[in-house]
Amino acid sequence: MRTSKDRSASLAGTRIGRRTRLRNNIDAWVLMLPMVVILYLLVWRPTVLGVVWSFFNMKAYTPGEFCGFDNYIKVLSHTQFLPTLWNTVQYVLWSLVIGFLPPLFIAIMINEAIHFKRGFLVLIYIPAVIPGIAAMLMWYFMYYPDASGLLNMLLAKLGMEPYTWLNDPNFVIIGIIIYTTWKGFPGAMLLYYAALQGVSSELYEAALIDGASPWKRTWHVTRPAMEGLLLLNLVRQIIGVFQIMEQPLAMTSGGPSGASVSLSYQLYQYGFNSGGKGTGQAMALGVIIFLILIVFTIFYFWLNKKVEDRY
Amino acid sequence: MLKFTTKRKITALVTAIAVTCIAFSGCGNTASDKDEQGRTVISIGSYPAKEGKSRDTWDAKWQKFEQDNSDVKVEPDTWTFDLKTFYAKAAGNQLPNLFVTHFTEIGQCIDAGYVGDLTEALNKRNYQGKFNDKILDIISDDDGNIFAFPVSTYVLGIGYNVEMFEAAGLMEADGTPKQPATWDELREFAVKIKEATGKPGFVFPTSENNGGWMFTCLAWSFGTDFMEQDADGKWKATFNSPEAAEALQYIKDLKWKYDVLPSNNLINNSEYYKLYATGNAGMLMAAGSMPSSLTKYEMNPENIGMFAMPAGPKRHVTLLGGTVYSVSKNSTPDQIDAAIRWLEASYNYNATEDFKLNKQREIDVALENNQLIGIKSMKPWSGEAESVQYEYDLINKYANGNPNHFRLYNEFVENGTAEIQPEEPVCAQELYSVLDSCIQEVLTDENADCAAILEKANNDFQVNYLDNLAY
Repeated sequence: MRTSKDRSASLAGTRIGRRTRLRNNIDAWVLMLPMVVILYLLVWRPTVLGVVWSFFNMKAYTPGEFCGFDNYIKVLSHTQFLPTLWNTVQYVLWSLVIGFLPPLFIAIMINEAIHFKRGFLVLIYIPAVIPGIAAMLMWYFMYYPDASGLLNMLLAKLGMEPYTWLNDPNFVIIGIIIYTTWKGFPGAMLLYYAALQGVSSELYEAALIDGASPWKRTWHVTRPAMEGLLLLNLVRQIIGVFQIMEQPLAMTSGGPSGASVSLSYQLYQYGFNSGGKGTGQAMALGVIIFLILIVFTIFYFWLNKKVEDRY
Repeated sequence: MLKFTTKRKITALVTAIAVTCIAFSGCGNTASDKDEQGRTVISIGSYPAKEGKSRDTWDAKWQKFEQDNSDVKVEPDTWTFDLKTFYAKAAGNQLPNLFVTHFTEIGQCIDAGYVGDLTEALNKRNYQGKFNDKILDIISDDDGNIFAFPVSTYVLGIGYNVEMFEAAGLMEADGTPKQPATWDELREFAVKIKEATGKPGFVFPTSENNGGWMFTCLAWSFGTDFMEQDADGKWKATFNSPEAAEALQYIKDLKWKYDVLPSNNLINNSEYYKLYATGNAGMLMAAGSMPSSLTKYEMNPENIGMFAMPAGPKRHVTLLGGTVYSVSKNSTPDQIDAAIRWLEASYNYNATEDFKLNKQREIDVALENNQLIGIKSMKPWSGEAESVQYEYDLINKYANGNPNHFRLYNEFVENGTAEIQPEEPVCAQELYSVLDSCIQEVLTDENADCAAILEKANNDFQVNYLDNLAY
């Protein structure tokens, strides 16, 4: 039976425990404070204000009167909204067609390589360390539509006529995605390569003993080990490419005839190229993009948890 | 001695406070307009960031100004006007007191309420009647309040490459170019240049609103009206007209029928001047301020020429543009007064000693950059301002190219042989963006239907912009 002395000792213990926890919490909050402040100023506050101000008549960055869904109606009824949404979907689709599997194939090739593995890794990672705007300009000149463009020089060597590349409304999105894939694949490739390193070599050896071809080894051993990560990267790529903006801005200014305008590029135009009149619409479009992407984001987190549980 | 954990906590606390202070230090601008000596403090934008002749010139001007105006303290600010950062800086009270902007943007800045009213300060300094009325319309609101101090104006003309003109046989022996009187003649010149050099005879901008901007001027000369205001004050887009289609067809023919345009159809401002400066285009539409855009390509001043804007089938018209200085909305009357005094040192109705000194410095910087001296721009003053003649004499004295290469443009500016028209009154930038797309479409599609493209563009402009004019 517990005596009153025990009880008071236990209470004192609880108080000390709370004090310790409180002190530990304060320590933690002090350590976190700089990041919290930065997040508040640069992420949370602008995000919340962006949502709130999307319901106001904005005079550049000064909110006027409440206008309900006016900004949303203006964005959705803009005659270029649907073509722009379709462009954005095309960016995503082409990025999956052109850019989703190459990083995996290259990772597998490097993983299978016996000599110069490190050298290949460094060489293949180079595009990722070139500054984005410099890389875009480089590709802009590669795609240059006259005989001075690098790709047209190659065509000339093959006896072919120069092609218009980014000047062709039917090719411009594909062209931008080829550049984006070139610039972005090393990061994804490293992820896959790291995951491949985690696949037990015993499984490959067993497959080899069973006489499995390289293709069968990839399908029956590599694929099951990688499919979680692949799914995760698929969702990440959809989310990332859906927000494409810098590439059309730097390489085509949205042209030709709006063929490379994405939703984020349009948001940029509303925000920074409308003489301050489109700020409210920029925020409304931001919310619309957010709502579209939140679906993918929830799916991403759900998938991420599944993948983490698996490993 | 402090324990390790205590030290860590103190370090973390100090770091947290420091970061918080740094984070909040950028918020708001609560600086007083007076320093501890009671001087009025003004910040001046567009101050050269890099060391060099230009920065030295500004420093010398700053030093002299503070000597002559002991009640003013100048603070340099390297921010240069850019619409992309202007509104955010203005909303955060981070604009310098004095900043430079352009005719094409000043209306938007006035509408947004982010620029200060100069009317009272200008009246106090006797500026009534000194500015050209046409320019006053651009820098004033509907009540006649003035929101900017115009410092330079220009009209569009045609720039040409002297060597390419010579190759095409389009130059007289004394260096005067043959001048196309009409757009049709200009096209013939472009064809001759292409035949003689194999290079495009003409370049037309197509993106980042530059194409639309130039196209309005071309289309005016074909008789196009882009918009009209009805009795209720509502604006109606009106460029779904045969005249506008004819102007667009002119551009289309340059590409597909006569093949005198560059292969690249996505031409922004820097690509535009690069093509011309590097000898990859024979002619372009340009303002008198063009030489400053060519120095980075090291174009030989002797190779730069300009002449008048050709006439269209309906009108002989050119576009008016220019540069103005404005003050930030939160500037005090003392700061506005000091800012105008700063401007008067370089831009003055009278040829004051300060004005003469600063003009000489500007010429010296231009010469050091191997920039062409000789092209004269319009001045924002009304009547015969003493400073204008002084500046023109200075330009003649230091001209570093053959004067005959640009004499026809200078005469075009001085004699006013064409109508001078300011930009479209509302949603000009949005209009340019819509027109950019039209131009790109006819340059990328040989079978494009100009009338149908403009019909759609007219509707887009009406629905997306003119019907949503209210701020």
